[in-house]
Amino acid sequence: MKKLMYVLSVLIIASMILTACGTPPATVAPTAAPQVIEKTVVQTQIVEVTPMPGPNPEAIIEGVESNAEITFWTFWLSPTFDDYIQSTIARFNEAYPGVKVNWEDHQATFQDDLRNAFAAGNAPDVINLSVGEGWVSEYATEGLLLDLDDNVPQEVKDIYFPGLWQEQLVDGKNYQFPWYNFVAVELINTQIYQGVPQVDAEGTITGYTGGAGLKIEDFPKTIDGLPALCKTIKEKTGKLCDIRLTVNDVLAQMTYEGDVKVISDDGTEFTFDSPEAVAWLQMYVDMVKDGTVDKTIIVAEQDRDALNLFISGQAPFYQTGPNLIRLVREQNPGLYGYLAVVPAPVGKSGVAGKGGMGISVNESTQYPNASIALAQFFTSPKSMTEFAKLVPVYPSSPSAYDDPFFSAEPVAIEDSAKPAAKEFISKLADIVPTIPNKADVNQIVLDAVQQALFNGVDPQQALSDAVAEANALLP
Amino acid sequence: MKQQPIMIKKFSLTRLHVGLRAILKQQPTLTKKFSFTPYLFLAPALLVIAVFIFYPIVAVVYYSFTDYNIVTPPVWVGLRNYQQLLQDDVFWQALKNSFIYLLVTPILIFLCIILAIIVNRKLPGINAFRALYYIPVISGSVAVGISWRLMLDTNGLLNSLLLSLDLIKEPIQWLAEPRFSLPIAMLLTTWMGLGYYMMVFLAGLQNISEELYDAAMIDGCNAWQKHWHISLPGLRPQITFVAVISSLAALEVFNEIFILFGPGGGLLNSAVTMVFYLWRQAFRLQNAGMASAIAMVLLVITLAFSIINIRALERGTEEE
Repeated sequence: MKKLMYVLSVLIIASMILTACGTPPATVAPTAAPQVIEKTVVQTQIVEVTPMPGPNPEAIIEGVESNAEITFWTFWLSPTFDDYIQSTIARFNEAYPGVKVNWEDHQATFQDDLRNAFAAGNAPDVINLSVGEGWVSEYATEGLLLDLDDNVPQEVKDIYFPGLWQEQLVDGKNYQFPWYNFVAVELINTQIYQGVPQVDAEGTITGYTGGAGLKIEDFPKTIDGLPALCKTIKEKTGKLCDIRLTVNDVLAQMTYEGDVKVISDDGTEFTFDSPEAVAWLQMYVDMVKDGTVDKTIIVAEQDRDALNLFISGQAPFYQTGPNLIRLVREQNPGLYGYLAVVPAPVGKSGVAGKGGMGISVNESTQYPNASIALAQFFTSPKSMTEFAKLVPVYPSSPSAYDDPFFSAEPVAIEDSAKPAAKEFISKLADIVPTIPNKADVNQIVLDAVQQALFNGVDPQQALSDAVAEANALLP
Repeated sequence: MKQQPIMIKKFSLTRLHVGLRAILKQQPTLTKKFSFTPYLFLAPALLVIAVFIFYPIVAVVYYSFTDYNIVTPPVWVGLRNYQQLLQDDVFWQALKNSFIYLLVTPILIFLCIILAIIVNRKLPGINAFRALYYIPVISGSVAVGISWRLMLDTNGLLNSLLLSLDLIKEPIQWLAEPRFSLPIAMLLTTWMGLGYYMMVFLAGLQNISEELYDAAMIDGCNAWQKHWHISLPGLRPQITFVAVISSLAALEVFNEIFILFGPGGGLLNSAVTMVFYLWRQAFRLQNAGMASAIAMVLLVITLAFSIINIRALERGTEEE
């Protein structure tokens, strides 16, 4: 214990000595005057702000009814384009808050559904109608669609190609926002049209075997060249041409292909038995007589029948839009590798055809401005460009083509029409006048065409009889 | 040996009529107190029938005198639709085609009786054989029609077979030849109906007592005579039944034509029947008024057929 006390005493004394030898503690000198000290204080605050929406550049229709609830019907777009349609509706809701859009896609029964809906008084507010099939004029003639010429400002009309805005007028008024369009192309099965390429050791094509030996670049530029082409293909390969008449609108085909004036200017009599009309029909009669076209296809009701024949690899060529090349790729990948695409031949009218799809507004909608806004929104350059990036369809407005997407070099064969699309679409026009009782008259003409094609009736006689019958239907 | 009574005999319309008359005669003895209760029980069914049967019938009668395109209100035109119908070549062709289609009925009866006799044997695996015949009945007309289309296609099975046998030099476009349109459709209808009607005849055959055949054998009948003298008379109610049902079905044929030839109904309207023409007028040309007039004509024809067939049925059962 004594020893422990001794050690502790030594340690305490040693620590006291060491402390006395250390540096004295720093002291703050007294200041003579007050100093300014600059200090930066960072303070984080969470502030909830409700932004005031500025004018949305996409909201170009004024007077849109607040809290409007509108129904939008499309034709055969679901399920492939569900995401696109829904995202476009979401963008529309940002541009026009408060408008609720109920979207429905109708397919094979679209026309029946729509007629029944109009009859029941619950037709949709905004409707996707085919311009090509003449649906816009069909419903506009019945007074079921809203006249857009009187309800849409000029600066909005100017967004679209003039030919497309005015392409299906009824009594001089437009009833559709032009939507997506197709570039008519000719799909060629090179195995039949050209033959299977023979390649030497260096990979150079030395010739073709098994096909008609024709050159892709020699494909006819006009309809007149088709009979000779089909004859050559039949002789060399035994294959028949996959050519289909537009059976739902034969008069339109006559007009575009044969430059036929189908009804007098005053609309009092039909004139589709003129020499031009007879020459047009005679061309097809000759092809049927020669056995160079597939008879099951030439008056097939469904375009898909003709497409299916081509996809099966049995047809040398087929006219369609590049958007349907994807079906060839999906259903017959072997054929996809042998595809070539050329511009579709034009008829004597020199006009390539009508636009594809339009969007119309129900005349009796409760919310005309909201409906017009939705129709315009879907057909706007931005919406259309986004759509065109998903599938080879082409916008109805010139400014859409400013997007680099359209000037980019085509990679896939589906895109081969892209560089020429703007010019092609700008020239589309509906040159067929409004036909009274169109469905009945079309059936009369179709029956006459069939009589000439398959029953040996002289084309002049068949068409003259049809004119007499159709004249009886005029008001 | 007396033949067993058959089901159809129990439902004789004559007997029903007599029975009803007897009940009505007894009515004075019944209590006349009115009660809502039975009507309440009947109301739901009557409502459904009124909405889905009575109203459409009355509406069709009315529309047949109007110009009606479905989307706009009908306009009264009197007898104009009927007058146009009489002058319409396609309508007469459709009528002719429908009557030609009735040939399916005797062909079906003949083939189905033969098939029923063939499968009415106690052989191993016969049930599987019967089931095979029944497959077209349960397959659905759309599926069957599509497979037939593929078979008759220019590059289809039939042409491949004929070409490989050197029977033809180049493929025949079967569905694009007006002269083949109706026979092809009739063949399809016959093929699809075989299984169902065969079952009806098979049930009839199994209802005929074996003792009759034994007696016939003892009397020295051969197989042909047995069926001629026993099976056919024994199948008479089934024959009448099949005749009624299949002839009405033939008059109303639509699916086969549509699937084989599409909405065009064959080149030159070669396969257009009454119901097909009705559909075309209503849903292709939007002439619901004209379509209703066709429906009325069809109603008269089918009613006449039904009355003739029921009379034949009643006469047959009374003779027994």
